[in-house]
Amino acid sequence: MSEPIKTVGQGINRVDGFLKVTGAARYATDYPVKNLAHAVIFKSTVAAGEILAIDTIEAEKAPGVLSVITHQNAPKLNPNGGLRGGGLLQETKIHFHGQHIGVVVAETFEQARYASRLVKVEYSKQTPRTDFEKLEKEASTPKDKDKADIVRGDVDTAFSSAEFKLDVVYETPIEHHHPMEPHSTIAVWEGEKLTLYNGSQIVNGAQSSAANTLNIPAANVRIVTPHIGGGFGSKGGQWANLVLTAIAAKMVNRPVKLALTRQQMVNSAGLRQRNLQRIRLAATKEGKLTVLAHETTTHCAMNGEFVEPCGDCSKVMYEVPNAKIAYKVVPMNLILPTYTRGPGKATGSFALESAMDELAHQLKLDPIEFRIKNEPARDPLNGKPFSSRTTVQCLQAGAKAFGWEKRKMEPGTNQHGDYMVGYGVAAGTYPARQRDSSAMIRLNRTGKDIKATIELAASDLGTGTHTIIAQTAADGLGIPVSNIDVRIGDSALPPAAGSVGSVGAASFANAVNDACIKITDELILKSGKQFPVRPMASALMASENLKEFQTRVDAKPSPEADNYSCHSFNANFAEVWVNAATGMVKVHRFLAVTGAGKILNPKTARSQIIGGNIWGIGMALTEESVVDPRYGNFVTRSFADYHIPANLDIGTLDTIFIDEDDPITNKLGVKGIGEVSIVGVAAAVANAIYNATGIRVRDLPITPDKLIRKV
Amino acid sequence: MRPFKYSTINDIKSATNRLATNDNARYLAGGTNILDLMKEDVERPDELVDISRLKLAAVQPITTGANKGGISIGALGKNTETANHPLIRQAYPLLSQAILAGASAQIRNMATNGGNLNQRTRCPYFYEVSMPCNKREPGSGCGALKGINRMHAIFGWSEKCVAVHPSDMCIALVALDAIVNVQGPNGQQRSIPFEDYHRLPGDNPEKDNTLNPGELITSIHIPRNNFADRSYYLKVRDRASYAFALVSVGAALEMNGSNILTARIALGGVAHKPWRAKEAENFLAGKPATVENFRRAAEMEMKNAMTLEHNDFKVELGTRAIVRALSQAMKGGKHEELPA
Amino acid sequence: MQENLENDSLSNDEKQLLDELLSESNDEIAGYGAQRRLFLKQMSAAGAAILFTQLIGPQELFANPVYEPLISDLPASSMENSVRVGFKVNGASRSLNVDSRMTLLDTLRERLELTGTKKGCDHGQCGACTVIVDGKRVLSCLTLAASCESKTVTTIEGLAKDGKLHPMQAAFVKHDGFQCGFCTPGQICSAVALMGEAAAGEISYVTADVRKKSTSLKLSDEEIRERMSGNLCRCGAYPNIVAAIREVHTGKNTAIAWQFAADDNEKARSTGA
Repeated sequence: MSEPIKTVGQGINRVDGFLKVTGAARYATDYPVKNLAHAVIFKSTVAAGEILAIDTIEAEKAPGVLSVITHQNAPKLNPNGGLRGGGLLQETKIHFHGQHIGVVVAETFEQARYASRLVKVEYSKQTPRTDFEKLEKEASTPKDKDKADIVRGDVDTAFSSAEFKLDVVYETPIEHHHPMEPHSTIAVWEGEKLTLYNGSQIVNGAQSSAANTLNIPAANVRIVTPHIGGGFGSKGGQWANLVLTAIAAKMVNRPVKLALTRQQMVNSAGLRQRNLQRIRLAATKEGKLTVLAHETTTHCAMNGEFVEPCGDCSKVMYEVPNAKIAYKVVPMNLILPTYTRGPGKATGSFALESAMDELAHQLKLDPIEFRIKNEPARDPLNGKPFSSRTTVQCLQAGAKAFGWEKRKMEPGTNQHGDYMVGYGVAAGTYPARQRDSSAMIRLNRTGKDIKATIELAASDLGTGTHTIIAQTAADGLGIPVSNIDVRIGDSALPPAAGSVGSVGAASFANAVNDACIKITDELILKSGKQFPVRPMASALMASENLKEFQTRVDAKPSPEADNYSCHSFNANFAEVWVNAATGMVKVHRFLAVTGAGKILNPKTARSQIIGGNIWGIGMALTEESVVDPRYGNFVTRSFADYHIPANLDIGTLDTIFIDEDDPITNKLGVKGIGEVSIVGVAAAVANAIYNATGIRVRDLPITPDKLIRKV
Repeated sequence: MRPFKYSTINDIKSATNRLATNDNARYLAGGTNILDLMKEDVERPDELVDISRLKLAAVQPITTGANKGGISIGALGKNTETANHPLIRQAYPLLSQAILAGASAQIRNMATNGGNLNQRTRCPYFYEVSMPCNKREPGSGCGALKGINRMHAIFGWSEKCVAVHPSDMCIALVALDAIVNVQGPNGQQRSIPFEDYHRLPGDNPEKDNTLNPGELITSIHIPRNNFADRSYYLKVRDRASYAFALVSVGAALEMNGSNILTARIALGGVAHKPWRAKEAENFLAGKPATVENFRRAAEMEMKNAMTLEHNDFKVELGTRAIVRALSQAMKGGKHEELPA
Repeated sequence: MQENLENDSLSNDEKQLLDELLSESNDEIAGYGAQRRLFLKQMSAAGAAILFTQLIGPQELFANPVYEPLISDLPASSMENSVRVGFKVNGASRSLNVDSRMTLLDTLRERLELTGTKKGCDHGQCGACTVIVDGKRVLSCLTLAASCESKTVTTIEGLAKDGKLHPMQAAFVKHDGFQCGFCTPGQICSAVALMGEAAAGEISYVTADVRKKSTSLKLSDEEIRERMSGNLCRCGAYPNIVAAIREVHTGKNTAIAWQFAADDNEKARSTGA
């Protein structure tokens, strides 16, 4: 058979697209499980204190109710089994508003929801620790060793003597992931075996944390998650709802479905924490940076610590002799913060890249030129060479494509009728890593028709995993994409990395590529022949007249990558139009230029980039979760109050990839794009707003009121 | 959501009688607000009377009586149909614009005109049963008064309630001096001037409007006017679409040469009811339509504002929004697009 | 034009599948129980490996004792405030008892095995549950099933007809108008209804002059954005959704544009799909 055209690098349609446009793609709660009962969680209405009593009598008597589960009757679970955030019904102590305190299981959803309102809870209330503006003074160094102070040179001395400098605080609010699919699970017990249909970015992680929490062997737990309705970090580590569904199913001896409501999502599945980032930045009059101190103050939960690494971009972006990265954290009565798209980098780059813009203005330098002047030759943190670094290329290619020369240096001078127009730029970075992943290939031949089944416990939360695996396998085996059956999203398959931290594409594609190489090697060996040109596995199946052949590989990252600093890089360009009368901002044009190594599928990659850009635009302009500190509850619990961008918020978005080959990062040179696509975006928008209006807003989101107060 | 009896009803009399005999019954029309609130356990009816099949949907010219030459809008007409009706578009473009500024296409396809008037506040304290709210639970206190009140009222609030009315449509209707026609349980009909339809909270924030028990809106009348050439609805919000107003302005002008004969200005997002800016209107009557006069009028109105901890920005925003809405109205009330 | 679109965006396997799948009348395809299973079985059996991407394919699904087709009707005595309601879904007449509290959304998903329609917020704030009732796009989460007597409902499962994906479905595939796919059924139902609204000359908040008579509108991108703003997409597929709708609306094939900038920044090349 003739060799098919290479598909890696081609923008083919998503292979699961057909399922998604017909409604046939099954998400967690879409499985037609027999004899299903429905569960609804009820939550604490105080933020701190103790449950004194729970009266479930009325709820239990309500029609259709099968069980009401609280700490009084819940089975003993392991609270340290790997689930995040608490709420496992193992204690009377309340750590935050909305902590799960019980589950009602009933014949129907309507019955369960109604009965959940009939439960009466008596608390001893304490004053909640939820006023960050007061508590931040109590913040101290995190326990997490990665957040220990990093100091280079002498920041204080250099800063005090600097001529051009900036000492300001940037603020970002609590944000929520709000994937369109709320966290939901169907649990089915068959004897000792438990199947959990549950959106899981890390399939094996969900399996082990469920098993450990339930105190049962991991082999008895199967996670099924072929399609995930978004996650953005919130379905990486799993939360109590996963196991509460399992114990509910056990207690009523039936399969159970449990979906969190949108309102419950605000205190069930983590959040991006509020950050105060103090930046001290100084430069010589020629524009060489002399000081960069990035000190973050934030909060974590009373029952756990998580601190997003806001200082990460500041570690690698610029050459600077005197540097400090530091963190302080204070526990509060809120749910545990967690990884949120571009963790630390999305927020940290807002501070760093806004500060770069501010200092460039002081220096009367073009902000692109200022960045290029401070481009490091090696990773400033550890002195390692970069495997490849495209910051300058991204900035220059972007400036050219965006028409940066049309930007007015002097803010507030580009008026179009009632609108003030501005341009902004910001750069960004995110680490590129490969993680251990196994993969199984099964080849089946019927006549000339060869089909391949690729199996690994990878996940696809809209990132395009199905598609890039099919493409990698098609090229590696020499068969068309349509003959590749990609089986992922099941913990029964060979273990794989998660779709987190932009490790997914690199880990999955390299594992599949390795498996293709291995199966070809084994087929050559089996043939006992010498080939002048290495044949494809597909050709060998035919020439050796094999009906079936399979192999499995356990792929690992190359140790060589450890000797290098491996990152994706980007540059973001925004053109904003600010209405002088209303303070409403429109990001009219946006361009992201990204150097992320090998782009396996530019169509799905572009989608991911613009998706991250839109997240960043939301971060810049609309998204904010607000706590009423008196109650510790959010007042922004719904999509009517928490504004993720709507279609009309988004103008023209353009994407440019830097064509780069980085075999050091990993064999295929895949760096990952999901995270870097949000990094620098909010700063580019904020810098553009400054350029348009002359108003520097250092606290996100930049809503109309903030501009109206200052115009 | 509590269990409730569902019934469909085919005549107004049976509908109003159902509600008159059961305090816990509610009308169901478009359902977009009441079902939302029932799921939150804020509304707890034990009976829903589905009135959506009553013949009360027509939009038609008024041919007799005091409002002859005006237009009658059926209470059960959908928001989309009303906004798109040729007579409304031509003669009452402010109403079309205001309706289309609200919610989403799907919701406007469901929501009825009468239901729009009766939608309840979006105050987050009202929506969460574990938090205090005098509107939901009289006597429990106002969570927003000393709480997070960025979205709340700057006019006409009381210590009992600082919530705002969320409607866009009503801002146009109050500006256009609409009349709400209702029918009571005994068949009695009455007409309520729009300004008197919604209430300020006072000591009874649980009451949003002046309807008596069982009364059903049958139609809304808008008198004939000469504003069609110069009116504009401006909505300022945190998101470009599908978001409630920080401040909105319905503005309409009738000119006499270069001077203003009559100005109508109403504000949304600022009070417990659609807010008529009467001081500004009175100031503008007889004056030239200049930006300077618009600004003075706006400032005159906004100086009466009483701000809360987080919403002082609404004073300046409201001032600018009034000026801009009047300016846009003078230009013919067209929506502006950014250059491509 | 629409034929081109479909040709462009479907693989041979997908085309073959659709032919088999949709060779019978629409009633049967979009039907229930046995018909629905046939639909799913054909989807798997059509040989499109792509469709097996879903680990538990429907064949496997119903071979497994854990699963069973739903029993759509239940006795009135099994629920409180039961309401008997009859309506058409995707061309098939359905009649069933529902709890008065049950929304159309939950009825489709939990009783009629039409899980394509999604619950994103259940409060009318996201649009994931959008379906078409009597020709209008509405939110099934804020619609009581009881109120649907004699109405006609179309869901995402009912859009493909006469052996073809609906052009809007094909355009969404081509333009990658989704990532996770969870909001997609609502987006597509909304977009399909939007085409009718534009043809009927309906106006929007961003229509420049609402007084101008309009019978059939050519929508600008800004008009499409505003009219689709009731369908939130957290993955951020908006520009692709607009492109897909624009293509169906205008009948003009357009490519998706991305660029690769070469090292020297001189050999920048544009690529389209």
